[in-house]
Amino acid sequence: MDENNTVVITGMGAVSPYGQGVNALWNGLLNNDNCMHTVEELQALEMVNTKVAATVEQADYSFIPRKHRRTMSRMGLYAYCAAVEALKQAGYENAPANLGFFMGSTLNSISVWLQLCGYSQGAHLELIKTSDFLQIMNHSPLAAVCQALKINGISVGSSEACATGLMNMGLAYLSIKSGLITQALCGGTEEYHPMFSACFDIMQATSKNSNENPSAACRPFDESRTGLVVSEGCGLLFMESKKSAVARGAEILAEVAGFYSNTETESMAYPSADTLKQCMQGALFCAGLKPEDIDLLNAHATGTVAGDIAETQAAQAVFNAELKINSLKGHIGHSMGASGSLESIACVNMLKENTVVPTKNLNRKDGRCGNLNYIKQKENIPLNIIMKNSFAIGGNNCSLILRRSL
Amino acid sequence: MITRDEIIKRTNETLKKEFEFTDEQLVPSASLKDDLCLDSLDAVDMVVVLEQQFGVTLRQGYNLSTMVTLNDLYDFIENLARTHQK
Repeated sequence: MDENNTVVITGMGAVSPYGQGVNALWNGLLNNDNCMHTVEELQALEMVNTKVAATVEQADYSFIPRKHRRTMSRMGLYAYCAAVEALKQAGYENAPANLGFFMGSTLNSISVWLQLCGYSQGAHLELIKTSDFLQIMNHSPLAAVCQALKINGISVGSSEACATGLMNMGLAYLSIKSGLITQALCGGTEEYHPMFSACFDIMQATSKNSNENPSAACRPFDESRTGLVVSEGCGLLFMESKKSAVARGAEILAEVAGFYSNTETESMAYPSADTLKQCMQGALFCAGLKPEDIDLLNAHATGTVAGDIAETQAAQAVFNAELKINSLKGHIGHSMGASGSLESIACVNMLKENTVVPTKNLNRKDGRCGNLNYIKQKENIPLNIIMKNSFAIGGNNCSLILRRSL
Repeated sequence: MITRDEIIKRTNETLKKEFEFTDEQLVPSASLKDDLCLDSLDAVDMVVVLEQQFGVTLRQGYNLSTMVTLNDLYDFIENLARTHQK
């Protein structure tokens, strides 16, 4: 009898700058591969300082039936592939009845929006197709994947910028925990457009001193870091009650032990260490855990000067200096709405493999960052519990705790 | 004036590109709805791409319910071309 209605993960699917599939993501991280490159459009924009991004190599998606593909922008295509992979690992060729689906993005497809704006500004409204509009609704990827895979339970397209992926995981967790639903797909998806880099550049949040060496462009916690590198992809996880997983004999990959979210009200762009501290403490309380129970903090740490300092100072206030901490943004950049769930997938594999992926490009820790155990080399150590953070511009903070399933 | 053969050729090329049909599917007797599986959303998009192809406005006189087969579509465009010619 599972009185606590324990929530577990039984499937994962990913599309990342390392390629299609969870294995591509995991192998890229383990091998410290480079997936960052200069972007032609950014090189043409003189006033934009950053020239680097991490994008998904475009594949042939014609295997997705046209009827469904017509309503999918790139982020919808990524979501379809991730959803199919997650379902398959969970043991399903087709979506089970009443499956919930929680997935959002920061913005919708900028390229399709710009195409529509072009029609409008040129007054060529007769060129607008139904499929254009169906690709740029806020919940278009969610709706398109539901149609394509016949996902007929509750579907929610929650959007909180860079916290979107983890927020949707949290909402799925709470919905299963409460008994509202038994199973759900959850996470975030995002597609790159140079305007993302340009907007973050204007906010002085992008990496700008490594344009000639893209591999080193994003350096979380490092004293020489200058900002984030925008990327894209989709990460989806199949969550369900442990009772459901056990009953159908599904392999349990990890348990979701707790979740918390709060909101920064002092600034849209600069999180305070105090609010972040309360977020992490909330997740510990939700999970019934003590700070010393956490083996690893997989930080949001995008490589911005202010964000990395605030997060690590907050972590120092919650944990002690022994806490192991890493960030995956040095490898795969900041996939924004997808980052929380893509990185959670990596965390599940870290638990499974008892392996801590080091922070890429971290050489000398910034003295202003909190006093913690920063992982610079791959470590094979017993891992039981990982906390994952995601913090959004706009002030939405999320912390989620993953545990090796007992 | 544009010939019927030219209308058929350009219509088919447009539909192949937009809806990923094969040549074998595009026979005159093919039902737009049942054989080619075009739904109401496709019907709107079909008008958009055919208008671009032929440089005429189709949407006013266009009625999917009276247009059953691909041949009906060719007829419609041919009639429109004749009207324009006058």
